[in-house]
Amino acid sequence: MNIIQTRNLTKSYNDFTAVSNLNLHVPKGSVYGFVGPNGAGKSTTMKMFLGLTRPSSGAFVIDKMSYPHNRVKILREIGSFIEAPAFYGNLTGEENLDIIRRILKLPKSTVDDALELVDLTPYKKRLARKYSLGMKQRLGLAGALLGRPPILILDEPTNGLDPVGIHEIRTLIRSLPDKFDCTVFVSSHLLSEIELMADHIGVLNHGHLLFEGTLEELKEKAAFEGYPDDNLEDMFLALIEEDNIRRGGAK
Amino acid sequence: MSFRLECKKIRRTGLTAAFIAGSIIAAALPVINTAARPDTFTSMAGSPAAVLTDANLQLISMLNLLLVTAGACILYHIEYADNGLQKMQSLPVRESGLFTGKCGILLPFVLVMFLFEAASLCFCGWHWLDAGKEELIEMLQTLGFTLLLTLPAAIIALVISSACRNMWTTLGIGVLCIFTATMLPTDNFIFSLFPYVLPFQILPGMETTRVIHYCIAAVCETGIACAAEFIYLKVRRLFA
Amino acid sequence: MNIFTLALVEFKKIKRSKILLILIAATVILWLPNILNADLNFDMNDIGISPENSFFIQGFMGMTWFIYPAVMVVTTVILVQTERTNHGILKMLALPVSTPLLCFAKFIVLAVTAAAFILFMTAGYYIAAAAAGALNDYSFILAPGYVLPFAGKLYLASLPMLTVFWLIAVCISTPIFSVGVGLVSIVSSVLINNTEVWFLYPMGYPFYLIMSEYGEVAENIGKSSLDLIPWIPVAALISLICLLISCLYFGRAERR
Repeated sequence: MNIIQTRNLTKSYNDFTAVSNLNLHVPKGSVYGFVGPNGAGKSTTMKMFLGLTRPSSGAFVIDKMSYPHNRVKILREIGSFIEAPAFYGNLTGEENLDIIRRILKLPKSTVDDALELVDLTPYKKRLARKYSLGMKQRLGLAGALLGRPPILILDEPTNGLDPVGIHEIRTLIRSLPDKFDCTVFVSSHLLSEIELMADHIGVLNHGHLLFEGTLEELKEKAAFEGYPDDNLEDMFLALIEEDNIRRGGAK
Repeated sequence: MSFRLECKKIRRTGLTAAFIAGSIIAAALPVINTAARPDTFTSMAGSPAAVLTDANLQLISMLNLLLVTAGACILYHIEYADNGLQKMQSLPVRESGLFTGKCGILLPFVLVMFLFEAASLCFCGWHWLDAGKEELIEMLQTLGFTLLLTLPAAIIALVISSACRNMWTTLGIGVLCIFTATMLPTDNFIFSLFPYVLPFQILPGMETTRVIHYCIAAVCETGIACAAEFIYLKVRRLFA
Repeated sequence: MNIFTLALVEFKKIKRSKILLILIAATVILWLPNILNADLNFDMNDIGISPENSFFIQGFMGMTWFIYPAVMVVTTVILVQTERTNHGILKMLALPVSTPLLCFAKFIVLAVTAAAFILFMTAGYYIAAAAAGALNDYSFILAPGYVLPFAGKLYLASLPMLTVFWLIAVCISTPIFSVGVGLVSIVSSVLINNTEVWFLYPMGYPFYLIMSEYGEVAENIGKSSLDLIPWIPVAALISLICLLISCLYFGRAERR
């Protein structure tokens, strides 16, 4: 069963189309990797799911609920982390999470739980503006994980983290569906990273979905179309390159 | 060189729009004020310059000071907001040149603001108070005097702005200075030398010696503010 | 989520924002010169006002003419900027809460801050009056039965002004411009208060109220009429429109 499904989802800004006729199918309980180069339209798609951007045309359904009719209900099911970390610099990490907790009407213990999950407990009393980039990123993730929501939308969650941090967060994301019975929709511009986390993959370029399926299906497709298949990153680059050439040499 | 660079930097900041809008509002004040009750003004004793400045200069100066403070805020905010200043400091240019460049931007804006106001006051004098050539010249002298007396506040606003990383601090200090200026007793000469009080002085009816004193004070305060900025920049670099 | 819980969350957000410090600093800056110049209040024979009334009116006049509106302009912008500085607003918009309600909760914070400021000012008045009295050997203190209801009226009269400032801060996203527009709107209030249509301009209401009180307590100052009709309906209408537009507009820039 698909927990997120889009139908010809499109977002245009004046003469520029960020997302074009997107048809995504995110199975329940999966880690869905949404991969594409910078500016492919990944963040815009995620923003549309959260009601931060209104679709120009098309529609999407999240857990059988549609936007904009069920906006608040949809948001109740989603923990999100979009682009740059969003927080209040004058508050401590703990206070930031407490604000979200109150709005979500969750018990107090959820804040400590989320802080623990992202290893931020020792720094919870520090002002968020004094956090390092990695800590801000962890705070954003903690905000998404608060209350263990059934759907997680994470936009490039490992940006700004050191190698150890990247490994920790990756392992955490990988374990989430089993641990909390949730679905994770995670984006990255690195296929090499996504293949370590996701079991389903969508490849986006210039707002168009080039591929959607499991990792195995992607490898099969690559072999079938004659792409180098010993290295998935090469395969990804070749896919994008091919699409760019088809679009008139645009890189 | 630094002036041209500064001109480039203020693109899309809205500074020009802010000054033009502010100047139009400041210029509209006397027109609205006089048009709303022309009889009150025509029956008043004194030259047109005296009548009009008496009725409007307080508000005009207040607006000018607010605009100057906000302008100075924007000029340095663009440096601090995305660490542009750090880049400037790491380039082979003198930091004092940056301040001079900012002055070079702010002062012409102030001049334009006064031109708008002068045009408006002259129009009011000519249209409602039958002012002749000599009276219009007196009006221009009055505004020229106010322009000179506004310079210290403009430079000080830039100095404060260059010293405060946070735009709100700059703006807060500016607004408090303007407010303090309105609270100080007007008849005390020493108090009236406070840079933010100077622009509220009215030329018509003022003794010549006092006019000279004010002019000297304005030039000195401007000089001292510039010197303070250059010393501050040197000290800041020393402790950086 | 009810509005009270949301307002509590909003109060939490302004922790360490120095708003309280601004309110206290403004109170001190207003009353200190009044204490030092208190002797000027004995020299009001031509106006026909008693020194204690003059002390009260002069202080509150300074407050309503500039410092109170200016502090409120700055507060509104701080409130809006708290959301925008580190994209906090993006997190809020992605949470299951109604955006207009969020906006209204923020306005409640603004209204409470304004109430706190008037309270500080009134407390400041009593301290200043006591200090000035001790310095000049004269009692400047007016009865709380007169001062407190007047402060209350002043607060109510300033609510429409707060809705306009809130609208400006919500709709103009560049902070320096929203402050600029707010401050310029204060300066022109004196002019509009001199016209017959003063009731159309909320930024002038508090100052108009104090001027009309000045006319009441001073014998030789012209009385300005304070007709509740059409003032109250117009003020209510302006406030409602401003609140409605700001609630609908809030977060729109981020939802592009």
